[in-house]
Parts: sequence; C-alpha cells; structure tokens
Amino acid sequence: MRKYIYILKTTFLDSIQYVSSILFKFIGYFISIFVMFSLWSYVYSDASNIINGYTLTQMMWYILMSEIITYGGNSKVIINEITEDIKNGNIAYHINKPYHYLGYIFMKYIGDSILRVLLYALVSILLAVLFVGFIPGFNFTNIIFIILSFILGFLINGFLKITISLLSFWIEDSEPFHWIYNKFMLILGVFFPVEMFPKFLQPYIAFTPVYVVIYGPSKLIVDFSFELFKSILIGQLIYTLITGLIMILVFKKGVKRVNVNGG
Amino acid sequence: MKVIEVEKLSKNFKVKVKEKGLKGSIKSIFKPKYKTTKAVDKVSFEVEQGEMIAFIGPNGAGKSTTIKMLTGILYPTSGEVKVMGINPTKERKKLAYQIGTVFGQKEQLWTHLTPYDNFKFFGAVYDLDDAIIEKRIKEYKELFELDDFINTPVRNLSLGQRIRCEIVASLIHNPKILFLDEPTIGLDPVVKEKIRTLIKRLNKENKTTVFLTSHDVSDIEKLCKRVVIVNNGKIVLDDSMENLKYHYLNKKIVEAKMKEKINLKELDGITILKDKDYSLKLEVDTTKRSISDAIKLLEPDKIIDINISNIPLENIITEIYKDTK
Repeated sequence: MRKYIYILKTTFLDSIQYVSSILFKFIGYFISIFVMFSLWSYVYSDASNIINGYTLTQMMWYILMSEIITYGGNSKVIINEITEDIKNGNIAYHINKPYHYLGYIFMKYIGDSILRVLLYALVSILLAVLFVGFIPGFNFTNIIFIILSFILGFLINGFLKITISLLSFWIEDSEPFHWIYNKFMLILGVFFPVEMFPKFLQPYIAFTPVYVVIYGPSKLIVDFSFELFKSILIGQLIYTLITGLIMILVFKKGVKRVNVNGG
Repeated sequence: MKVIEVEKLSKNFKVKVKEKGLKGSIKSIFKPKYKTTKAVDKVSFEVEQGEMIAFIGPNGAGKSTTIKMLTGILYPTSGEVKVMGINPTKERKKLAYQIGTVFGQKEQLWTHLTPYDNFKFFGAVYDLDDAIIEKRIKEYKELFELDDFINTPVRNLSLGQRIRCEIVASLIHNPKILFLDEPTIGLDPVVKEKIRTLIKRLNKENKTTVFLTSHDVSDIEKLCKRVVIVNNGKIVLDDSMENLKYHYLNKKIVEAKMKEKINLKELDGITILKDKDYSLKLEVDTTKRSISDAIKLLEPDKIIDINISNIPLENIITEIYKDTK
C-alpha cells in the first residue's frame, strides 16, 4: 500500500506545478456559473419562490456543489493518460512494474485531483455565499456524511471514466464516449436536479450514475436528511462495487490485447 | 548459474491488412483481413549470471520482441522462458523485483520531477525502505556522476543525463539482470562512451548480468563478450566476440596510394574492392594469401602510402545480416 500512497503523493506534488493551468480553467467555470445564476434568478422572479422543492438559494448551492465534482474530477490522468498509454503501447511498460496499473492510475487520479477539488470547493462555497448567502438551517454536524458522499461520488466518477478510457483497447478513440458521459452528467445532474424532470422520468434517473455521482452529494448539502443519506449511500456502495468490478473486468480483457511491436 | 533460459520461444503478431483506396478502407471495416507475421521463431539460448550479452540484429529482426517476452511485457505464442527461474508471463510482478529495464526510446521517469524524487518514487514502488533508497541513491549518484543535476527537473536534462538517470532508476532495486534496449540511441560519441564505461563498472562491481540490444556496433564491441545475432526472428549466430572477430578477421583490407596507374589482376584470395586513378583497395583472405603477396601485386616501388586494416566489425555484422536474409 505504501507504494500507492507514494504514487498519490508524487502526483499531488506534480499537480502543484500545474496550478496556473487549473486557475486558467476557472474562466470556463465562472462563465458557466454566471449563466446559471442569471438563468435561475430569472426563473425565480421572486426569491421567495419554491420550484419543485428548491428555493433559489438551494438551487444555486446545488449547482455550485455539483460543479465541484464535474470540474474537480476532470482529471487528464483518467482521460488522456490511459488512452495515450494504450495507444502508444506505454501500458506494456507499466504492467512489468510491481504495481497494478489500475491502482497506479487510480492513485494518480486522486493525487492529481486533490488540489483541483479543494480549489473548486473553496471558490464554489465562496461564490454561493456571495450570490445567495448561507443555506438556511444548514447543520454543520452533517458535514462528515456529506463529505463521505462526495468522496464516493468522486470514486464512482473515476471508475466510470477509467472504464470509458479503457475502451481504447478496442476502439480508436474513447473521446466521444467521454463527451456523451460528460453531457449526460451535465444535463441530468448539474443543470437541473432530478426533481426538475417529469415525474415519470425521475425513477429512471435515480438509477443512473447521475444520481450517485452528482445529485446525491449536492442534494445532501442543500437539503440533508438521514433518510436521503441512507438511500444515496446504499446506491453509491452498490455503484462503487459494480463499476469497480466492471473496470477490473474490462482491464483484464483489454490488457490481453496488448501488442507491442519490437523496435 | 543460468539466469535466463529460453527454449523454442516464438511470437506471432496478427497484423491487419488493408487494401488500397476508399473501397479497401470500407471493406476492411466489414471484413477485416489479417496476416500473421513471425516476429520471433523458435529461439533458444541461455545466459549465465554476470554475463554481458549483446543481442543484435537489423530492424524488425525480433530483438525487442524477445526482450519484451523476457521481461513479461509480451506473452509468447509458444516456447519456454525462465528468467531467474521465474516464468515472466505467469509471475510478472515477482520477476519485476529481479530485473531492471531501460528502453532507450521510452521514458519511464516523471519529467516534472527531479531525478532524486524519481529515484525515491521508484524505490517506493519496489517496496524499499527509505534508508536503503537513500543509500542506493548515494551510491549511484557517485557511480553515474549525477551530482550536478540530481535536483534538476528531468524535463530540463540533456538526453545523455536523462539516460543515465533512466539507468539508475532501473537499478534502484538492485536487479540481478539489467535489460538495456538501445540505451545509447541518439547520444553523441562522448556520452555514449561514458554510458558504456558506467555499464561496464556496474557489471564488474555489482556482478549484474547485462542483456543489451543496440544498433551501435561500438556498444557491442566495447561491452560484450558474447554476441547473439538474430535475423528474421531466428538466431543466426551465438558466439563469443573473440570467435566472431577471429573467424572474420582473417580478411584484411589493404589500401594503397600509387605513383602511377598499374594493371591489377585479381588472384585467388585477393579481391579488388576499388581501383580508381591512383587509389587501390584490396581484400586479402589471409588463409589463402599472405599480405606480402598483396604488396608484391601492387609493385612495391610504386607505392606512395599504404594502410593495412581489419574489416570493421560493422561490416562483418552487415555481411552476416545479408547472408541470412
């Protein structure tokens, strides 16, 4: 385990070198937040309105918190690096090292994301307080459960993205699948909470990764209840198990296809 | 003690074949065609502990594929491999602790980190204690003369400095065998010489077995006592460097500059390689003719300058490649 912690630590140190590039990406983030704030302020013509159970304050907090996972989890390690490793045959040089490639990549994903997640969390919280103030009745003792839910959402997001990248063993480019996944998360999770969709669609959305990756953790911040926490936690644990297993299976099947020509 | 045992090792690659043009491209989507190429074909050899062996051959001969099978990167199609008594395909991770690999064309170092941080990282990957890692870094820092740049990010190092660090990174866990796949590729002669000296010292001081592939004949000549030449996936020669030279060096090259043009007649054992104006170049097979026969043929009083040399090893190897095509 020490080696995996070292991989995490080394990637974290490496990521500090890229602070400027993280900060640069904040431009896109600020634009997206500004658009969302303007849009929802218009929809909530009166701040005291409640739409599908959300006040404007709750809606903005929901969006800002969900952006922590989408922007924070947007690691080049689990998208570009895996695809590159598979395409140029570098993966072969990893599999003869005394670590598991998936463990290596996963630790790099976490190490690479820590700083980004913290920065986005800090800025998101600041913006939320600035735009709409604190969430009324927020109980700080629940924070530990919310963080746990965020961590699990972050893990599932990683497993899914790694699995998508591993498709490069079979297809030329996994990028279109990442695009679909990201848009799916954005529309069904970030832009609109599940409650905004028609009633008949809501149960189906609850079964998708959106519910456990984006909706769950964000919803817990704006409207915490132990009942909701329990249902989200169960969903997250099932998803962690299933997506983790799928990721391992896809890797095991794919790695047999490694064909590195001599040079 | 045998550290590498290879018997009838083969590796076939399935390569997609596409017909020409748009029609061919569309056809290959629906009905892909493949052909099988034999990269390595029933290769057998053994390597003793502490040996420095050169594994050479032209491009596409199967050298790197063999190294990749020996290090567990590729699965053989058939045959047996044992490295340090371990089957690389079945116990890849166990083998990783016993071997070090440097692929001249692949970077394994993290470019944003310094060599020192990289060595610490690789040490941790191989489950070494911090104290041992520090001790090894200190040793190799001296052996490979890394003092000046051990704290400079790898991306700012020259190629020669980087390769030295790559070798140290692959040695941090004290492997019994070091696989070097074209370690001096792209380096200038001075740096090449430095790296050769370091590899030699490593072999002498630590008794590390070195398995080397290179296109650079000087690498082979200066480092290895044994040469294995592969071509078209097969071993065409497995001999000591001494024998290789002895068998082929009975041919001498005689180059002469003449006062005036002379009429040369080829004799059995003397081949005219060049006869242009006043310059002549002869190849003398010393098993058939003596050097003095060649000089007599040139008419000694007409010679201004003469040079007698061995056939360069490079030419010998090229000849062997050609003969086995």
